[in-house]
Amino acid sequence: MLYNVRFGVYVDVAMPVEDKSKSLLPFLSSPKLLPNESGSEFQSGLQSLLSELDNPSPLAVALVSQLNECLWWIKRHTVDKELLLYEAMARLLSKAGNHWDTYDNRKVSEALERYLDGSADKDESEWIDEILAESKLTLSDLRVRAFKDAARHIKMVDDLIHRQHQTIRHLQRSIDSIDYKSRLIKRMDLELAALESKQSVKGALTLDDKSA
Amino acid sequence: MTINPRRDLANQCNALKSTGPKSVSGKRASSQNSRKHGLNSPPDFESSPEYRALVDLLAEEGFSAFADIAAGLLNYRRVMDAYYDTYTSPEPVDEFLRDANVKASNPIFSELLSPSGSEPQDVREMATFFADMQRQERRKGGPVSRRTADIHKLMRYQRNGIARLSRAVRHG
Repeated sequence: MLYNVRFGVYVDVAMPVEDKSKSLLPFLSSPKLLPNESGSEFQSGLQSLLSELDNPSPLAVALVSQLNECLWWIKRHTVDKELLLYEAMARLLSKAGNHWDTYDNRKVSEALERYLDGSADKDESEWIDEILAESKLTLSDLRVRAFKDAARHIKMVDDLIHRQHQTIRHLQRSIDSIDYKSRLIKRMDLELAALESKQSVKGALTLDDKSA
Repeated sequence: MTINPRRDLANQCNALKSTGPKSVSGKRASSQNSRKHGLNSPPDFESSPEYRALVDLLAEEGFSAFADIAAGLLNYRRVMDAYYDTYTSPEPVDEFLRDANVKASNPIFSELLSPSGSEPQDVREMATFFADMQRQERRKGGPVSRRTADIHKLMRYQRNGIARLSRAVRHG
């Protein structure tokens, strides 16, 4: 059965759980998305993870939702690494030229971002070319120097990504243990049912023997 | 090392005279003391309706460590909420301090200090102090660097939160 669970203030997530009243998610605060992030992408990631569950128990669903959030944080932090480089590049450009007014300016950083992915308009491209020429730096030189400059923060982002990986491992182990437990209980139920049926067949046979 | 009660008393008396951080970096660090994510305060889950509902559901599901799992889940969500809030609201960049020209500000400093009959030494000290603050402001970088540094401090809370949850689920 599919139903909607309120996901933070930004997205509604459709979630297949057998019984709505038994879901844990309404009692936990939910992962929130940033204004520029795609809710449908987040949902599709969650749905694909949930579809991997053999037995979507409420706790397993809650843990998978946390796991999906970790994957989302890894994406955010990976983007941040590139943004840190742009910030450092903008800072270096401003230092090298006479652009103290635009020192570490978000404007230069954003223009560089668009310039590097090819989406900058003509004026913006010319402006960046002009600053590059003024600072007597090539783009690759600038990138190398920026990397060195931002190394401390890039290392921090790497730590954060590593932390998310570790968290995912913990969550996977937890989900596995729930899954194992439920499989064990199922197996024991089946064995018990088999024993009971054997017992009843035996009982019926002894009754038949007696009556004969 | 032997305990000396007189030295202990002297240390305590001296500590009472302390007037807080002296260095610029110490002052700046202590100025951030009020910025709290609230993760150091002990949570009170037991009285919340969410906790009770979670405990009931988990007990129904057959988990023996239902109370630990419920507290672990709520605690983990608390950490991740703080993580998100810290990420989305980094310490703002002080553009005035960052972009100010310290050398050109010297006349302003002497004007500010003149009513108290300032000496050139006072102006130099004020300029040095200002330049030090500016260096620190610039060292923090832009918004992305700031939020990275802020969120990096929350890593240990996430580590402890997930370890607690995972332990509870595996024992449950």
